[in-house]
Amino acid sequence: MTELAGENLEERYYDWAVFSRIVQYLKPYQLLALLSVLLLLGSALCQLAGPYLAKIAIDDYIAAGNLEGIDKVAFIFLMVLICGFTFQFTQTLLMQYIGQNVMKDLRRETFAHIHKMSFSFFDKNPVGKMITRTVNDVEVLNEMLTSGLILIFSDLFTLVGIFGVLFYLNWKLTLVICLVFPFLAVATHFYRVRARDALRKNRSHVTRLNTFLQENLSGMNTIQLFNRQRRQYTDFESINSEKLSEDLRALHYNAVYVPSIDVFSALGIGLVIWYGGGEFVQGEIQLGVLVAFIQYLNKLFEPIRDLAEKFNIIQSAVASSERIFELLDTPEEILDPPQTSDQKIERGKIEFRNVWFAYKENDYVIKDVSFVVNEGESLAIIGATGSGKSTLINLLCKFYEPQKGEILIDEIPLSQLSKKNARSRISWVQQDPFIFSNDIVSNIRLGNDDIEQEMIESASRSLGTDRFIIKLPDKYQNSVKEKGSSLSMGEKQLLSLTRALVFNPRILILDEATSSVDTETESLIQNAIKKLVMGRTSIIVAHRLSTIRHANKIAVLKKGELVEFGLQEDLIKQKGVYYNLIYFYNQR
Amino acid sequence: MFVSQLKVFISYLKAYRKEMLIGMVALILTDVVGLAIPWVLKQFIDKLPNKPSNEELLVFAGLLGLAATFQGLFRFGWRKYIFGPSRKVEFDIVNDLFGHFLKLDSSFYQKKKIGDLLSRATNDIRSVRDFLGLGLLVLADCFVVIISCFSLMIYISPKLTLMAFLPLPLISILFYLYTKKISEGHRIVQEELANISDMVQENLSGIRTLHAYVQEEKEKEKFEKQNEVYLSKNMALTKLYAIFPTSLSFFLGLATLISLWIGGKEVISGNLTLGSFVAFNGYLLMLSWPMMGIGYVFNLSQKGASAMKRVQDIFSEQPEIKSKLGIAPENDFKGELEFQSVSYRYSEQGFHLKDINLKIKPGQWMGVTGPIGAGKSTLFKFPLRVIDPTEGQIYLDGISINELPLELLRKQIGYVEQGPFLFSATIRENIVFGVELSDEKTIEEIAFLAGLEPDILAFPKGLDTMVGEKGVSLSGGQKQRIALARALIRKPKILILDDAFSSLDIETEEKILKNIRRVAQDTTVIMIAHRVSTQRYSDQIVVMENGRISGFGSREQLEAQDGYFKEISDAQSFQKGLEAFLS
Repeated sequence: MTELAGENLEERYYDWAVFSRIVQYLKPYQLLALLSVLLLLGSALCQLAGPYLAKIAIDDYIAAGNLEGIDKVAFIFLMVLICGFTFQFTQTLLMQYIGQNVMKDLRRETFAHIHKMSFSFFDKNPVGKMITRTVNDVEVLNEMLTSGLILIFSDLFTLVGIFGVLFYLNWKLTLVICLVFPFLAVATHFYRVRARDALRKNRSHVTRLNTFLQENLSGMNTIQLFNRQRRQYTDFESINSEKLSEDLRALHYNAVYVPSIDVFSALGIGLVIWYGGGEFVQGEIQLGVLVAFIQYLNKLFEPIRDLAEKFNIIQSAVASSERIFELLDTPEEILDPPQTSDQKIERGKIEFRNVWFAYKENDYVIKDVSFVVNEGESLAIIGATGSGKSTLINLLCKFYEPQKGEILIDEIPLSQLSKKNARSRISWVQQDPFIFSNDIVSNIRLGNDDIEQEMIESASRSLGTDRFIIKLPDKYQNSVKEKGSSLSMGEKQLLSLTRALVFNPRILILDEATSSVDTETESLIQNAIKKLVMGRTSIIVAHRLSTIRHANKIAVLKKGELVEFGLQEDLIKQKGVYYNLIYFYNQR
Repeated sequence: MFVSQLKVFISYLKAYRKEMLIGMVALILTDVVGLAIPWVLKQFIDKLPNKPSNEELLVFAGLLGLAATFQGLFRFGWRKYIFGPSRKVEFDIVNDLFGHFLKLDSSFYQKKKIGDLLSRATNDIRSVRDFLGLGLLVLADCFVVIISCFSLMIYISPKLTLMAFLPLPLISILFYLYTKKISEGHRIVQEELANISDMVQENLSGIRTLHAYVQEEKEKEKFEKQNEVYLSKNMALTKLYAIFPTSLSFFLGLATLISLWIGGKEVISGNLTLGSFVAFNGYLLMLSWPMMGIGYVFNLSQKGASAMKRVQDIFSEQPEIKSKLGIAPENDFKGELEFQSVSYRYSEQGFHLKDINLKIKPGQWMGVTGPIGAGKSTLFKFPLRVIDPTEGQIYLDGISINELPLELLRKQIGYVEQGPFLFSATIRENIVFGVELSDEKTIEEIAFLAGLEPDILAFPKGLDTMVGEKGVSLSGGQKQRIALARALIRKPKILILDDAFSSLDIETEEKILKNIRRVAQDTTVIMIAHRVSTQRYSDQIVVMENGRISGFGSREQLEAQDGYFKEISDAQSFQKGLEAFLS
C-alpha cells in the first residue's frame, strides 16, 4: 500500500509545473537572487584561479628564475583568496536569507489558507497531516532552495569553468581527456537507475517502519493487555530487516559508483601523463600546463559526484512542494460576498426563510426550515440525534451556506455579510469546550486585547467562575495544560461560558453538554447560563427538560424538518408533538 | 558521560568486528595508495627534463592507473564494510528499542509524547548510526591521512611544511569557537520550530472556537510574529554556518599560497626539485579533506552524543508495574474480584480515589456509574495492573493480584474501553488479536455475539476488510463491537466494559447484552456506563462521585432515592422520549 503511494509520487517528480511554481516564490527576491547567482559565479572563478596561478608561477617565473614574479603571483593569489572568501560568505548569507523568507511566505500562506477551510475539511484531514505540511514540508523545500539549487548552480559553473580553462590551456589535451567521459556517463546512468529504485523502496520501507512504530506506540496498552508483545516484536523485526536489506542494497550501489569516479579521474590523469608527457618531450606543451591539468582534473570530478547525490534532495523537495501546493489549491468553500454590507448587528433578530441544506449533493439534512426569533427571545431546539440541530447552528454562524433559502440577522441576509461581521456579535458555547494551553485570561479573551483583565474578573465573578479560579496558585494568570487536562469538565464549561460573556454578544448559541457533572457544579452552570441569556437573543440546543422549560420559543426538529415551532404556551395548547413529549415524560 | 554512552553503543559494533576489521584495513590501504599518487607524479615531473621515452611515460601512466584502480577497490571495500555494519547496528538498536518499548508501561507512556518517542527511534538512532559509521570512519581516515601527508611533506621539505602549516592553528581556534556556538544555535532553532508546530497544532484543534470568535486575524498576527522569530534565529545560525566552511577554504588557500610562494622560491634557488614542489602541493590538496572532515566529525559527534543520550534515556526507563516472576499454578479462576481500601492519589493531598471497598462475586453483573472524572475508569484499571493503586489491595479469587504473573492475570480479564484502539489490519486479525489461532467457526460465532454480523455483510471483503486509514473507516459503534469481539474470543473470567456501548443504539445494545448473558453465564461482568439503560441487567450498581462510592444498590433502589442516579435517570428518560417521539 505504502509502496504504491511512493510510486505515485515518483511518477510526478519531473513535473516542471511544480518546479516553476516553486521558482515563482523567488520573484519578490529576484534582485537578491540574481546578485546571489553572480556572487556564486565570482566565487567559482576564484576557486578555479588557484591552479592557473600555479601554472603561471611554474612556466613564467620558476622556469625563468624570476623571484619578483613569484611575489607578484603570490600577491594576486592573496587577492583572489580574499575575493573568494567575501563572495562565498555573502552569497551563502544571501541565499539563506532568500530561502528563509520564501519559507516564511509559504508558511504564512499555508497557515492563512488553513484558516479559510471549512469544518468539513478538518473532519477529513487529521491535525498531524496539516502540521507536516506547514512545518516539515516547508523545511524540506528550504533545503532544496538553499543547498540543492545553489550547489547545482555552483557545480555547473565549476564544471563549465574548468572545461573553459582546459580548452584555453590546451585544446588537444582536453579532447584526449574527454575520452573518459563516455565511460563516466554509462557508469552514472547505471548507478542512477539502480540507486533511484533502491532509494524509492527504501523510502517506502522507512514509512512502513514508522507507521508500524507509531501505531504500536499508540496502542501499547492494548498490546500489553492482550499479551501480544512477542508477536508484535517478531512483526517489527521482519519489517526492520526488509528495510535493512534495501539499505544495504543502496549502500552497495553507492560503494561501487563513488570509487569508480576516482578511477575515472585517475584514468584522466594517466592520459595527461602519457599524452601530455609526450607532447612536453616534443616541446609542444609547457610543464606548468601539465601540472595545471592534473590539478584541474582533481577538481573536475567533485561536481560530477555531487550532482549525482543532489538529485535526491531535489526529488524529495519536489514531492514536498507538491503536497503543499495541493493544500494551497484546495478551494475556499465559503467565500465572502464581493460587496458586503457594513451594517452592524445591533439587535439580534434571527430569521430563517425556507432554508435547505445538504452536505452531500441532494441529500438534504435541513428541509425548508423557517422561523423567527425576535430580539431578546430565547429559542430551545429539540430533536433526536441527527435531526439537524447542529447543522442549523453551523448555518447561522456561516460555517456553511444554505443551498436554498435565506438566513437573516437584523433583517440583513447572511449572504451579504462577511463571515467576520456575521460572527462578530455571536458567541457560541460548544458542547465540549476547547481550552487552549495558555493562561486563564488568554483563554477567556482569546486574541482580543480590547478585553481588559478587569472585565474578565467581573464577568467571572458574576458567573461564579471565579470560585475555582481564585483557588489556583496563579489565579487568572494560571496556565492550563494542553487541552485543559488539569481542569475538570465542569470548570471547562464555566470557562467557556465566561468567554462567551466577555465578548458581549447580541446572539448567544448554547450547545448544552450531555455529559454529566456532579450536582454542585451543575447548579453553578445552570445559574451562569441564566445570567448569560438575560437581555440577549439566545438559541439553545437543549437536552434537559429544565432548560427547555425556561425558553420562550420551542423548535421541534425531526429528520431535518421543523415539525413544530412556537411559543411554549401555544405548543402546549396545540397538543402536538411537544405536548406529547412533556406528557410522556410526566407519566413515566 | 559521553564515553560511557559511547561504550554501550560500541558494544553493538562488536558483533560485526570482522567486517569492521576488513573495512579498516581497506581504509588504510586506500590512504596508502592515495599517498602514492602524488609521489608517482613527483617522479614523473622530475624525469620530464630528461626527455623520457614513450615507454617510460606509459609506465608512469600505467602505475598511476594501477594505483587508482587499487584505490577504487579498497575504497569500495571500506564503504561496504564500514557503512554496512553501521546499518546493521542501527537495525539491532532499533529492534532492541522496540523490545524495550514493549516492556514499558502506562506510567511511561503518559509522560511521553508519541511524536517524541518516534523521533528518538528514527532520527536519533540515525544520528547515532551516522556517528558510529561515518563519524568513526572519517576520524580514522583523517588521522591516517594527516599523519602520513604530514610526514611525507616534512620529508620533502621541513621548512616549507612549517611555513605552509602556519595558518592551521587559526583553523583550530576558529573551529573551537564555532562548534560551541553552533550546537547552541541549533538547539534554539529547533525550539522555535517546535513552537511553530505547537501553534499550528493548537490552532487546528481549536479551530471551531477560533472561528466562532472571529480570531483568525489575531492568530495570523501571532503566527507571523513566531515566524519572524524563527527567521531571525535561523539567520543567526546561518551566519555561523556560512563563516566556517568559507574561512576553512580561505585558510587552506592561504596554505597553498604560502607553499607556492615560498616553495617557488625554493625551486628557483635549487633547494627543491619541481617534482617535489608539485608533490608537496598534491599532499597539501589531500589535506583539505581531513581538515574539513574533522569539522564534519565534530558536528556528527555533537549530534550523535545528544542523540545517544536521548536513546539511552529510554533504555534506562524501567516499567513501574513489576510482574511477579516465576510461574504461578495454572489456576482455574472463578472470577471473584475484591477491592480492599483502595486509594489513588496524584499528589500529597489530592486523592483521585479514596478508600474504595468493593466485592464482586463470580458471575455477578456489577454496574458502575457516576460523572466524568469520578474515578470509575481508574478504579477498574487496577485489576489489569495498567496502573497500581497508591494504597490498598486487590484480590482475584482471594489471591492478591501482585502475586500473579502479569501474563496470567491479564489472560483472565477481558477489557473493552470507550474508544478502543484497533490496528490497521483486517477485521479478522483485529478479532483474533489476543489469541493464538482460531478457527473460522469460532470467529464467526464471536462476531455474531458482538453484533457485528450486519456490518460484516455490508463490508466489501467481509471479515477480511482492512480497518483504518488503508481500509474502511469505522464508526465509533463498529469499533466498540470489534473490540468487544476481540475481548470475548479470549473467554475471560472477568469482563470489564468501560463505557463500551456508548456509541451503540439502544436496540443493538439490548441484543448484545442478551448475547453476553446467554454465552457467558459464569463470567463476572463489570459494566461501567453513563447510560441508565445499559444497566438493565446489572445485579447491583455502584455510584461513584469525586473518588468515592456515593451509592450502592439495585437499579430500583437507586431510582427511589434522591441523588445522582435518580437525576441522570430522569434526564435520560426525557432524552429517550425525544428519540422515541422524533425519529
